[in-house]
Amino acid sequence: MSPRILPSRPGPTSQPPAVGVRLAARGLVKRFGTTTALAGVDVDVADGEALAVTGPSGSGKSTLLHCLAGILPADEGAIRLRGQDVSRLNEAQRSLLRRKHYGFVFQFGQLLAELPAEENVALPAMLLGASRDDATRRAREWLGRLGLSGMEGRRPGELSGGQAQRVAVARALITGPSVVFADEPTGALDQATGHEVMQILTETTRAAGASLVLVTHDEDVAAWCPRRIEVRDGRIVSRGASR
Amino acid sequence: MRALATVGPMLLRAGGPSGGRQHLRTTGLAVLAFAITTALALSTLGGLHAFQTRAATSSAFQDFYGDTYVQYAWIAVTLLMVPLISLGGAAARLGVSRRDARLATLRLLGATPREVVVLTVVETAWQGLVGAMIGVVGYIVLLPVWTLVPFQGGHLSLSELWVGPQVLLPPVVVPVLAAMSAGSTLRRVVVSPLGVAQRTTPAGLRVVRVIVMGIAVLGFFVAASMRGGEEATIVLVIVGMLAAVLGSLNLVGPWLIGRFGKALVQRAQTAPTLLAARRLVDDPKGAWRIVGGLALASFLAAILSIIPMLDRMERMDPHEQIFNQDLVTGGLLTLVITFVVAACSAGITQAAAVLDRRREYALQTLAGVPVELLDAVRRREALLPLVFVSGASAGLGLLMIVPFLGGLALAPSGLLLLGVCLGLGGLLVYAASEVSGPLLRTVLSETSVRPD
Repeated sequence: MSPRILPSRPGPTSQPPAVGVRLAARGLVKRFGTTTALAGVDVDVADGEALAVTGPSGSGKSTLLHCLAGILPADEGAIRLRGQDVSRLNEAQRSLLRRKHYGFVFQFGQLLAELPAEENVALPAMLLGASRDDATRRAREWLGRLGLSGMEGRRPGELSGGQAQRVAVARALITGPSVVFADEPTGALDQATGHEVMQILTETTRAAGASLVLVTHDEDVAAWCPRRIEVRDGRIVSRGASR
Repeated sequence: MRALATVGPMLLRAGGPSGGRQHLRTTGLAVLAFAITTALALSTLGGLHAFQTRAATSSAFQDFYGDTYVQYAWIAVTLLMVPLISLGGAAARLGVSRRDARLATLRLLGATPREVVVLTVVETAWQGLVGAMIGVVGYIVLLPVWTLVPFQGGHLSLSELWVGPQVLLPPVVVPVLAAMSAGSTLRRVVVSPLGVAQRTTPAGLRVVRVIVMGIAVLGFFVAASMRGGEEATIVLVIVGMLAAVLGSLNLVGPWLIGRFGKALVQRAQTAPTLLAARRLVDDPKGAWRIVGGLALASFLAAILSIIPMLDRMERMDPHEQIFNQDLVTGGLLTLVITFVVAACSAGITQAAAVLDRRREYALQTLAGVPVELLDAVRRREALLPLVFVSGASAGLGLLMIVPFLGGLALAPSGLLLLGVCLGLGGLLVYAASEVSGPLLRTVLSETSVRPD
């Protein structure tokens, strides 16, 4: 039996998100032992919006991303994706949610070292049931769109850092996700390459109609997103437009 | 060197909150493998010692059959030592792939190649010493079990099966062999630290491996057709060539798995098969370490499929009946031990692979890859080559007994025994590798990785 990933059961939130909000969190609390990583966070991500989450190390910004993305279950609060509560899913349901509705770009490491670029990109589509031929065709299209034509057969170890992150962007977008989560996606890159990757990430995510949630401690990287929130000690301390 | 001695072990054991636990697991697996190798090697030598002791006594039976028992015991020792050495080698390499990235970091920090090798070799030798000592205890514990096996119309005694002062050899020999194996495995770190840090397309294995095996097989056939010499010398040459063929399986096996993996990559239609096939191509030697023991066992099973024919041979007198019965018992015992060693190799090696890949697994899970898929990949990575190599090895084994038995080598009763052995042995190895399934889930629940 396949798990239901978007149950319609209402969450505890009393304040429904506004129309056009793709992902909404209300009153998120996450504790690790005696440490409170998130202390009641409300956040909305609109359709097609790019939102930067900033803050110093240990502020709770990565925990917020993990809770929003269903990697970690929140202890309290509710998360809604397109109006449906996804905060009470079990682990298998959250895994399916991530696979079907979300894309991920990490700093490094999400590409499988054994697979060439096109198979790394095709893998999420194959996991959702696409045939290998179809998944490979779509992977090649994405790699071409991101300027990686001719590099389909290279393995991650044979790509530069910027090229590898572009492959990661293609992998995140091939399934047509609702939201792309990026955690310090330029952290391992030099400044010029980082800007290049951010341009590609924001443009292709917008063009694909996906929303983007970007976690970074770098102000220059956050500036690629029109809106940002700043997290400190598990709370949002400022909201507004990026500079 | 003094600073490295301080920093090195800390770096090797590092790895986040669960790093210490993972290090303990890997060390435990290596020690267990060394212990099994030692216990079974001593048990095998104990059997040889028992037949040598009896052959030295005087009786009608021993005068006629004593030397023949010793010759067959030597054949069993030869057949068993190859998989046992393979298991010992796997133990020595256990965790080296986990450590080599950190060792590469040490190299980049300025450690000399010698310092890097010494650091790893000392750690592996220490594991070998502990494993060998546990193995000696295991041998002593197993002694009463072996006395239950019927031989020569009775049972071998404890004193006959006791190898004497040789029991002190493993704590000396095993650490040395383990250190040599670990040192050679780390050669690539020493040559190129960046080569380890940056995973690139591996160079294919050379076809010369097949040529070496061809020469060994040819040598065996030549030895088998020798006539006119002293019987003991001929037996020695045949046993030597048999050992060469068995040893060359370790050369050809990875090459064959690499070719098999490439063919699978072309045909794979699902994500688990594609990933498993890519891993076979990426690291055929690693895949061979999982299934190599079964390949050797299958080869042996094919050779021992002549057992039903021996059992049915016309019996001239009670002594000959005892001898034939002991051939059957010895053959089956050798086969059982070989399959047990193969299962241990498969279980331990795959468990180590799961520990090595824990960060990769954890990151894939974060991105929504289900644990079931990772488990399916792990299973196919073992099962696909397992079926392939056991079939190929059994085929080679049958080919090698044809010169001796002709059409009898393909008799239905022998083939039936072979099929049963391969089926049961395959199931045993599969069951051993399935231990990695729960381990994978445990590792994922314990491994907390941040994408950054």
